[in-house]
Amino acid sequence: MGREVAESCVDGVVMQMVAAYCGGFYAAKPELAARRIEAIGFQVGHQLTERYTMERPRFSDHLEAIKFICKDFWSELFKKQIDNLKTNHRGTFVLQDNHFRWLTRVSVDPSVESMDATENDSTTLGDSAAQTTSMLLYFPCGIIRGALTNLGISCSVTADMSNLPACSFVVRIKT
Amino acid sequence: MASTACFVIVSKNDIPIYEAEVGSAPKREDQAYQHQFILHAALDVVQDLAWATNTMFLKSVDRFDDLVVSVYVTAGHTRFMLLHDSRSEDGIKSFFQEVHELYIKIFLNPLYLPGSRITSSHFDTKVRALARKYL
Repeated sequence: MGREVAESCVDGVVMQMVAAYCGGFYAAKPELAARRIEAIGFQVGHQLTERYTMERPRFSDHLEAIKFICKDFWSELFKKQIDNLKTNHRGTFVLQDNHFRWLTRVSVDPSVESMDATENDSTTLGDSAAQTTSMLLYFPCGIIRGALTNLGISCSVTADMSNLPACSFVVRIKT
Repeated sequence: MASTACFVIVSKNDIPIYEAEVGSAPKREDQAYQHQFILHAALDVVQDLAWATNTMFLKSVDRFDDLVVSVYVTAGHTRFMLLHDSRSEDGIKSFFQEVHELYIKIFLNPLYLPGSRITSSHFDTKVRALARKYL
């Protein structure tokens, strides 16, 4: 159980997955690509919780499970804890990571990618960069949903990336 | 060493995914069925106990004649159930923890469908070895 994988390999696999589904398999259907990427994340999260909960007592309520995701689970995956957890006490939680690891290397400045860009091209590249970044976030959303589903909590997860590299995940628990 | 023991893994959807008669007693068909009935009947007790406590190891949740049921519940609500007559709780707990590790290795296999039957002969061999070691 002690084997490790180089982080650069994980980064590369995640980027290639997004590139393959958005630019290849479902180039013309971004919604299908998003659902596929989220499903992969779901399976990863589902399996990882089984592994990371091996040494600890079981959870007695939803808040305990959410706190496990914010602390232990996040530390295992991203080497830091969630920075902020908010809730409206009616089944919605907002998990905010001020420095989301998988977004720190994402460039959203189109001029860096194309020095010859005209104004229109810059706009297009900007939109494309934002879309790629949002596609990247479907994977961690799926991971969180898979993790919580394995712990017995049905939910939907969306991401808000309006303030890169900070990222918020909104978890809505289904009742 | 338990003279009679039956070990079952039940997935979160109440489907048995692994069954093994472990122990030194000679195998008897009618007793195997009886053991499974006892373990399946204990599932109702586990269902209630799982809410009352957050520990994974539930010792002696049920009793039938001189046989005792001990259970180990994971965070994903997979249940390891053991029917035994020995008194070694530490050994039983260690057995459960080791099998949990084996189960996680199966579970992390991307080709394994969570909740489906475990058919790995390697898994079976290791579980029986752990049973001889701890029970």
